[in-house]
Amino acid sequence: MAAKMSVVAAGSRRHRQRQIIGWALFALVVVLIPFLIADTYSPTIFGNRYTFGLGNLSQAIGLMVAILGLNIATGYSGQLSLGHSFFVGSGAYLTAVLVNEFHWSYVSTLGVVVPGLFVFGVLFGVPALRIQGLYLGLLTFAVAAVFPSIIRLDNVADRTGGSNGLLIDSDLVAPTWAPIEKVTEWLHAIPGVGSRVPDGLTVRQEEAVYKYFLLVIVALVCFWLVRNILAGRVGRALVAIRDNPLGAAANGVNLAAYKTLSFGISAAVGGVAGTMLAMHSGFVGPDEFGFSMAILLIVGLIVGGSGTLHGAVAGGLAIQFVPHWSSQTQTLPGTDVALEGPYGTAILGGLLIVIIFALPGGAAHGFRKIKARLMPVAPQPPGG
Amino acid sequence: MVALASALGVFDVSLDKLSNGELWLAQVFRGLSDGATYASVALALVMIYKSTGFINFAQGSLALLGVYLVYVFSVEQGLPVAVAVVCAMVASALVAMFVERVFIRPFPPDHVLPLVIVTLGLLLIIDSAVGIVWGFRTRSLPSMFPTGAPIEWGIAQLTWRTIGNLGTVFAVVGLLYLLLSRTKVGLAFRAVSSNLESARLVGIRVGPTLGFGWALAAAIGTLGGALVVPDLLLEPSIMLRVLIFSLAAAALGGLDSLVGAVIGGLVVGLARNLLVTFLDLSELALATAVAVILVVLLVRPTGLFGSTRVERV
Repeated sequence: MAAKMSVVAAGSRRHRQRQIIGWALFALVVVLIPFLIADTYSPTIFGNRYTFGLGNLSQAIGLMVAILGLNIATGYSGQLSLGHSFFVGSGAYLTAVLVNEFHWSYVSTLGVVVPGLFVFGVLFGVPALRIQGLYLGLLTFAVAAVFPSIIRLDNVADRTGGSNGLLIDSDLVAPTWAPIEKVTEWLHAIPGVGSRVPDGLTVRQEEAVYKYFLLVIVALVCFWLVRNILAGRVGRALVAIRDNPLGAAANGVNLAAYKTLSFGISAAVGGVAGTMLAMHSGFVGPDEFGFSMAILLIVGLIVGGSGTLHGAVAGGLAIQFVPHWSSQTQTLPGTDVALEGPYGTAILGGLLIVIIFALPGGAAHGFRKIKARLMPVAPQPPGG
Repeated sequence: MVALASALGVFDVSLDKLSNGELWLAQVFRGLSDGATYASVALALVMIYKSTGFINFAQGSLALLGVYLVYVFSVEQGLPVAVAVVCAMVASALVAMFVERVFIRPFPPDHVLPLVIVTLGLLLIIDSAVGIVWGFRTRSLPSMFPTGAPIEWGIAQLTWRTIGNLGTVFAVVGLLYLLLSRTKVGLAFRAVSSNLESARLVGIRVGPTLGFGWALAAAIGTLGGALVVPDLLLEPSIMLRVLIFSLAAAALGGLDSLVGAVIGGLVVGLARNLLVTFLDLSELALATAVAVILVVLLVRPTGLFGSTRVERV
């Protein structure tokens, strides 16, 4: 065990300093990572060679936002939704069609996706009012499975590309004012660490770095907005509904209004996640947003930590990188088993069960426990 | 409704089709055949719901595993199909007892949501395990029943398969009814499903009884799978669609009624085939299941035959 740090009081100067240092480190990592792995990073661990590109991380960021959306309906207000892929898929297709047919830019499609999906989520939330718990899970599960068939319907197939999916025309090219090239040069010039950064980026790499930062910014805005919504009256009402609906109603929380609102916000955030995933891959296909994504989002939610914002981050990383890791593991150490194909899903399923059993609060809860052990913070005494 | 829809140009409805009696009859037969298969998986769902109060989303996956076992016993080992089905039912029942013991029983039975999520995890594990062991290429599975049709009117054929599917489902319901109402195990099962705490207090071993429920459900699910698959091709994602239709059937019948599951299954099978044929909605077959679930849950959440749950607050 590391040397125990002294206890600091919440809100004290030292506590604030520590928080600022923490955030600064986080910001540094977020900014440095794209330059370090712009040239795909391929470590060899136990004789397996793994390739890890910036695109994988960008997709994980999209998934984090998708889990964030699910978290609002399921994690915070306790309405089991097994069909959130429907909202994510709708957002992605809306973006794809707007970009392809109306030549909008990706970011401007958010102006339609957010209000559109909000309204859609509210409409979905109205029948969900009468349907609770398990039954809602049942309905949303079926809804998730139906999304690909809706996309393939003959009436809309010429718009949505049917089974073939849609290739989105617009490429995200870094604008000339973005100092990506310069930053790369600076970082490369740093002695020691700099040798890990390539001395120049190809056009593709520059595009990947630009996309990454764009997605990071959208994700940060989403997390910040959701945090603010949940930290206030709405968040308290939703948690009260989850923990004790009758008690919440008795205390004057309008159950119907808040439940539909939570579905609306949740769907809007899910739609943004769809836009982000479309941005990342430049392609949308019907089966991407089917039932398997719906289940993966639930896995991410639970593994990361239901009802916490950090959990969405951890969950997004988990559902992106566990299958990625397993698909590239040619020989499991000590055996000659190749973990390709469906092993990744099986491992995620196992992880889900283990987490529910051993760490019901998810990874976020685990981190919090470790942090409390290493860097204890005493709550500020009231009043004074 | 139909006129409105066709006026909107959404559906392509032709009067020729609607007035074609043989087509109607043909679709009714097909619907009953499909419905019987949905009913049998719905029966498995109802068994679990009755005993534990949650929906086992891994039921389709257990049935999938069972069907692959049927494939192994019949095609690879060369057993007669009916024998292979019985062997697979026993094997999948054992697997289900194991699964229940290891993954379900450690969790407190009165917290439903964690259990539902565990079944989702099981779904992922079993589906991918089947993919790992048997791969993703499609295979064909022989049917238990002879091919051909004893009765024909033009294009409408009452095939042996339809008769067999229906007969099997009714036989299963009959046997289940006898098992639950006339045997000691059945009595224990009903006691546990009616009130878990009281059952424990009068000395019923709750765990093994629930394990028995899981085993029975998996065996029925496997039988259901063995009825479905010969119409289609066997591949790892096949039971997902069946699961959705069966969920709709179970919801329609009322999640805790065995008879309801059968009637629900037949209605969903008929609705699916008739709607798809006469409204040309082949892509929306699954959506009919979703519509059924939505309408049932909104209008009558207990389904047609389900018992109302009284909650004390």
